[in-house]
Amino acid sequence: MNTSAHDDAWLLEARSVTRRFGGLLAVDAVDLAVRRGSVHGLIGPNGAGKTTLLNLVAGVHRVSSGVLRFGARDITQHSSARRARAGIRRTFQNLKLFGEMTALENVAIGLHAQMRAGFFDAVLATPRHRREERSIEDRSMTVLHFVGLAGVAHVRSGALAYGHRRLLEIARAMVARPTLLLLDEPAAGLNVTEAAHVSELIARIRDAGTTVILVEHHMDVVMRVSDEITVLNYGRRLAHGTPAQIQEDPGVIEAYLGRSGENEGAQA
Amino acid sequence: MGALSVSEFVDLMVGGLAIGCVYSLIALGFAMIMRATNIIHFAQGEVMMLGCMCGLTSVWLLPVLPLLLVVAVGMASSGIIALAMELAVYRTLRRRRVPIMNLITATVGMSILCINAARIIWGSEPLRFPELFATTAYEFGGVRISPQLFWIMVMGVAIMGALQLFLKHTRTGLAMQAVAQDPEAAQLMGANLTRMMAYTFAISGMMAGAAGIMLGSMFFAFFEMGFITGLKGFVAATLGGLGSITGAMLGGILFGLIETFSAVFLSSAYKDGIGMILLIAILLVFPSGLVGLWQKRR
Amino acid sequence: MTASFDPTAPRRGAVHRVTLLVVAALIVLPWVEADKFALHILSLIAIASIAAMGLQVLLGYSGQLSIGQAAFYGIGAYTSALLTAKLGVPFPLALIGAGVAAAIASLLMVPITRLTGAYLAVATLGFSIIVYLFIQNEEWLTGGSYGFIGIPRAELFGYVLRDPMLSYYLNVGVAAIVYFTFARIEGSRFGRAINAIRQDADAARASGVRVTLLKSECFVIAAFVAGLAGSLYAHEVRYLAPNDFTFWKSIEILIMVVIGGVGSLAGAILGAAVVVGLPEYLRAIGDYRMLVFGAILIATMLFGEGGLAALCATLVRRVGEVSRRLALKLPPRNETAP
Repeated sequence: MNTSAHDDAWLLEARSVTRRFGGLLAVDAVDLAVRRGSVHGLIGPNGAGKTTLLNLVAGVHRVSSGVLRFGARDITQHSSARRARAGIRRTFQNLKLFGEMTALENVAIGLHAQMRAGFFDAVLATPRHRREERSIEDRSMTVLHFVGLAGVAHVRSGALAYGHRRLLEIARAMVARPTLLLLDEPAAGLNVTEAAHVSELIARIRDAGTTVILVEHHMDVVMRVSDEITVLNYGRRLAHGTPAQIQEDPGVIEAYLGRSGENEGAQA
Repeated sequence: MGALSVSEFVDLMVGGLAIGCVYSLIALGFAMIMRATNIIHFAQGEVMMLGCMCGLTSVWLLPVLPLLLVVAVGMASSGIIALAMELAVYRTLRRRRVPIMNLITATVGMSILCINAARIIWGSEPLRFPELFATTAYEFGGVRISPQLFWIMVMGVAIMGALQLFLKHTRTGLAMQAVAQDPEAAQLMGANLTRMMAYTFAISGMMAGAAGIMLGSMFFAFFEMGFITGLKGFVAATLGGLGSITGAMLGGILFGLIETFSAVFLSSAYKDGIGMILLIAILLVFPSGLVGLWQKRR
Repeated sequence: MTASFDPTAPRRGAVHRVTLLVVAALIVLPWVEADKFALHILSLIAIASIAAMGLQVLLGYSGQLSIGQAAFYGIGAYTSALLTAKLGVPFPLALIGAGVAAAIASLLMVPITRLTGAYLAVATLGFSIIVYLFIQNEEWLTGGSYGFIGIPRAELFGYVLRDPMLSYYLNVGVAAIVYFTFARIEGSRFGRAINAIRQDADAARASGVRVTLLKSECFVIAAFVAGLAGSLYAHEVRYLAPNDFTFWKSIEILIMVVIGGVGSLAGAILGAAVVVGLPEYLRAIGDYRMLVFGAILIATMLFGEGGLAALCATLVRRVGEVSRRLALKLPPRNETAP
């Protein structure tokens, strides 16, 4: 409604976004404003709706109501592939790598939308094909260096260690230099050292100019690298602020501590 | 074209309902297997065919066999055959967690195997069923109905009713439903997954066997009968909403009526094509079928 | 499948050497074995392998199970027959025309490519049944059950290919072109993308890949190639009947791909050789042909999805291993190297 320089600061805005699954209200009128060039953490107890909200931003689910804005554009009705091409990339909580392909090939898929060579280019080995293949190889190797996987570029991704696979997911999402990167529990299942490496990687990603929304359970990762944090509980926004503010917020503390007993045995 | 007389209408109605019952029974099998394993059992039509053939063979061996026993033989044999398929092949493939494409291909292979085995055993000529029903038409208030079609409808409804009772009111039936909805939770409650899977195949096989006897007595038995009819049973299941048992039953009846009535107005040469076009249309436009539409309204 | 960007050149060299050997053998073959019937069978194998390679792109590369390829095979066959016999179109144009007709027909399938797994399979099956019904019923066009007779032989540059050896070269030549065309897909953007779609379509979509568009492209490519095969078939046997283009033909093509190894182009050719060639050399099978193939299909799923191609590759590797060890005079080992 008001177009001012102030709005330029917000890369992604979710206004009163809701998502219903049958009778279940997974995300309930959530507002989210992500500042350009920041790392925005998204935390909350199990089942709070974090991954659902991320999926809404990514376009995997349609919002039941509400508006999503990316830069100046309303992307509420856009498909996920369209958003990907517009500069929103994501990783998956359960790792969706192409297991039969090498690390390098996985990353190359991230560049698919930036290139044009098609079936006939491949068959006839046109200059465009050769030019693009070289570019893809260079850019993919660069990003593998960036995350620290250059040594395993030609290893089948299914054969990589778990920690490396998580890094590869990030590399694939990063290679197209997305404007907005959605990370869904990138440190899940990692040990302390690996988690620290991921934190440091996220910071470098932000410094390279990509805005990040980070869903994570590893508190040290979130607190260390986030510029701002939004806390969800029962699908609603519970709190919002800097890591320091969130750590002191009584509502947040209660939500986590009060529920820690009930959470035993609950599904992730 | 033009209007139909009352008796013509009744004939079509009865014919459509009867073949609809056949489709429903086959569709049920698809739905049950789909719920339990997430695959389309390509060989379901062949299970029906083999049940029909076994039933026919039993009548050859014992000509005095009454109708109900013939149906029982048909149901038992196809139940066993379907169970054998599961035990010999499908179970192993699932345990190995092969990609779903391989499972589907295996069912295609099973289908080929059955069709050709049947051709070798029973030959490639269509085989007539002996008269299993009375021949003089029944009369209900001035309307004449063929006994064969009448009893097929009655049997079909009875079998489907029995199945519903079984699923809703017996421990095993409830366990099967639980496993179909949420295998992990059901297992935690004590359900034996492998046994439930076996029951699923056996029961869907039995349904198909009944359908086979009915179909065979309405037309004739031959080695390829399972192919197109199986496909139509699948269309019916999809129409009702794949994975829904009630939907399969309704879909079968509805499809039987659609096919019978439209054959009057369209060239009979393309009669089979109706089902195929309907199938593609459903898959594209409302893949969740009738049940899906119903649920959306609520 | 060899990886893109992979610097392991030695493997590539070996594959090239084997391919050259095979091509040379195929060129020389008719001079060694001039039996007309054998050449005819080899022609049929080549023709079948073209359709199989098309399905390989669909199934092996992009992961779409289509059991309706016979429809495009049939459309190609009848189109070519009509163009040459009724309209006097020269064969090379009819050949391309057949491919184009099949490709255009496949555009009808584009909405279907949204589907996956068994739903897609059933939809392709439904489509192929509709095409079959059309072929059978529209007698004025196709001759229906009476068949389409009087299809002229293939001719190139005005020269009729009367000698089986010449049609052998034609059919094997087209098959080779198709093979080498598809072989170039693997290490390319297109090839990687459809491979990714096969492994995880959602992840591909999240990376910006236009999944439905690419899946449709694969359908059109496979249909075009099946149409080419149909045309070659029509001019090889010079008589068409609807029975040649039923669901069973689609299944045969699937069997070729599965037996040969899903994902391997060479496997598609091996599979075609087995499905078309085996019954000729094992006359005893005769009636039991499809029964045996059904069993092989199940067995392949149970025991080894790599099919014949994987089997051959393992054999070649073992032989290479053994001969290397013999050459170096090393003791035999139980396990092969990773």
